[in-house]
Amino acid sequence: MGDVVRYRPPRPREETTAAMGMVLFLGSWAMLFAALFLAYGFARMRLTSWPPAGVAALPWKLPLGNTLVLGLSSWSYQRAVREVQMARAARAWPWVAVAMALGITFVGLQVVLWRSVGRSMEPGAAGAYSSVFYGLTWLHAAHAAVGILGLGYVLARAVAGAYSGARHLSLRLWGMYWHFVGAVWALMFVTIFVL
Amino acid sequence: MDTSTVARSPHVHDEPTSFMRKWLFSTDHKVIAKQFLWTGLVFLALGGTLAMMIRWQWAFPGEKVPVLGMFLERAGGMITPATYQSIFTMHGLIMIFWAITPILIGCFGNYTIPLQIGAQDMAFPVLNMMSFWTFIISALLIVASFFVQLGTAAAGWTTYAPLSTNVGTPGLGQTLVVAAIFVTGVATIMGGINYVTTVIRLRAPGMTWMRMPLSVWGLWLTAILNVLFVPVLGSAGLLLLLDRAFGTQFFIAGAAGVKGGGDPILFQHLFWIFGHPEVYILILPAWGMISDIIPMFSRKPAYWYAGTVWAMVAVTVLSAVVYGHHMFLTGMNPLLGKGFMTFTLIISVPAEVLFLNWLHTMWKGSNRFPTPMLFAVGTVFVFGLGGLTGLYLGTIATDIYLHDTMWVVGHFHLTMAAAAFLGSFAGLYYWFPKMFGRQYNETLGKVHFWGSVTFITLVFVGQLIVGFSGQQRRLYDPYQYTYLQHLLTANRLTSYAAFLLALFQVPFVVNFLRSVFAGAPAAQNPWEATTIEWTHAASPPPHYNYNPIPTIVRGPHELANPEVKKLTGRDWAGQAEELPAGAVPAAAKGA
Repeated sequence: MGDVVRYRPPRPREETTAAMGMVLFLGSWAMLFAALFLAYGFARMRLTSWPPAGVAALPWKLPLGNTLVLGLSSWSYQRAVREVQMARAARAWPWVAVAMALGITFVGLQVVLWRSVGRSMEPGAAGAYSSVFYGLTWLHAAHAAVGILGLGYVLARAVAGAYSGARHLSLRLWGMYWHFVGAVWALMFVTIFVL
Repeated sequence: MDTSTVARSPHVHDEPTSFMRKWLFSTDHKVIAKQFLWTGLVFLALGGTLAMMIRWQWAFPGEKVPVLGMFLERAGGMITPATYQSIFTMHGLIMIFWAITPILIGCFGNYTIPLQIGAQDMAFPVLNMMSFWTFIISALLIVASFFVQLGTAAAGWTTYAPLSTNVGTPGLGQTLVVAAIFVTGVATIMGGINYVTTVIRLRAPGMTWMRMPLSVWGLWLTAILNVLFVPVLGSAGLLLLLDRAFGTQFFIAGAAGVKGGGDPILFQHLFWIFGHPEVYILILPAWGMISDIIPMFSRKPAYWYAGTVWAMVAVTVLSAVVYGHHMFLTGMNPLLGKGFMTFTLIISVPAEVLFLNWLHTMWKGSNRFPTPMLFAVGTVFVFGLGGLTGLYLGTIATDIYLHDTMWVVGHFHLTMAAAAFLGSFAGLYYWFPKMFGRQYNETLGKVHFWGSVTFITLVFVGQLIVGFSGQQRRLYDPYQYTYLQHLLTANRLTSYAAFLLALFQVPFVVNFLRSVFAGAPAAQNPWEATTIEWTHAASPPPHYNYNPIPTIVRGPHELANPEVKKLTGRDWAGQAEELPAGAVPAAAKGA
């Protein structure tokens, strides 16, 4: 670092407009997840014990690993963004590929989690406790799946050499989406599995 | 005009020539606005028909329904209790999400925002098109729900759990409807993102915030509320879908309670966190539009423009912190209830500002009363009634008595239905010449207005009266209760008013269809209006709206300015109009 000045040309007006649209979209979706967390908090507040008596607590090791997987994925994606911004666009696509592979790993591990928890606790087995676990992680995984599709699109564009230091809008926007998915997961990990 | 020389922003696509791209999958905001309008009008008719069936049931309970009875063959042409549940449920949902929303927000939002701020299209034209087609998917889900086993949704428009779970309403119909609510929410959010961004990014040079027409302000604030609060409804819908189809128990208490069951009250929280902003989502566009229409026809600048703007902003903010007044009777902490009550009653202050500003604009104006102005004044009238009756519901002491009575129904219909309905027509008649390039028939328009305003007031005041007398809402046959039997006459008269209200929509249908296809060609600015869609764009405007984009030099209502009169001989000056030399004082003025 230090010897290369990061290349930051002024952004075209439409790119700022598009980024604003993405921010609004993510703000909107943040409200969706805020409402889901509200549902969690509300359900938990109404109960005297969490988990309810006679119900085994959720595992935390696998979700912790999964948190790391998503964190690494976001980090890897930012490496790709950085390569593009440093005018080394050709070196970006492996990082996107790693980010995408880690994303797929995340969803795969979620399936493993659902199956292992499902052996002792079905969605309706422990009322709000099991509902919150399954409902929130399902809805989050659906967003992760959309993100993986987006990353696939970005990967295809990167391999095709469509990005340059000056123009890489879809790389930026899908990055915002992907980090959002990661941040929501981090919150879910803390609230559902740790607290 | 030769389009090859037009300097367009790269966002504006070329004008398509094929039928598919021009009329079906168009990205032109004006075409999408009309698509929303037509779809909304069809659903308005459907929702209205359902309303007529409810009114029939309350006037002649258990008797064969004339004409519409053919849809109820299995029950011998009568409305059964189960059918009745579905009818009032779908009336509410269709009117709110598939009639008022597409007309007020989908149509007028799309049509007026880019034209009034001087943009060539929306910020995201393709997203705009996708918003409409997502909306159509939700509409198809709604239509499909009528044809599945056990019929369509029947848990009330509020879809309260546990009635809306499989315990209360089994069957595919309710599931499809909940899914439709989610899908239409996605469509609304797409539109909302577009409107918010467009207003922030694509205003013409000189179009400062405080020079924006008030319609744009209303629609913009609505879009913000949509972006923030429709997703909350979305999450309520998703959780309900999970409960219905995937075995979770977010909203099901009861037997599972010993192991920590869910809570139906949670649904009410999620629903009203969205639901209260929603009522302002539905009225803010109408407020904005009539705030523009009244000055144009009073030939006076809008009284205290900034006050109207800030009052609308205040209502937008307050709308987010009052939802608890729908839930006073759920056993909430009295202190919390008092907080919600206080915020609720505070809303009457900005509402009063708006109200007085409209009246003050008309006061001593050179008022003209063509159809749009009549509808605008009618909106003010019914909204006033609706607002005043709301005070009794926002106050805990009176709400305990009035909760869940027909008083509530009368109140929210006066605001959300009557005011939004009349406000939509004010906008539709006002922009009709611009949208279709043709003039509607003024006489039929006035017949439509007087019939509508008279009978819509009678219908909902009738509901207030029986509600105050103790009639609960949603009763299949109120007269099973001896203490309500004396209300049969009042209900029957109200129903007659409702049937006449429906009858007076015929002049509109005739007028609309005839004028769209064969009306007299409209002038560019038949109203002598001052905003740029009238002064700088033909009727109808070309594909790219403006070329070049006009530079805005003054506020939206430059009317009755003696200096303008001296210079131009007119009592108005357009927002982007350069006056002849010597006009510096008037032209330099802001809003």
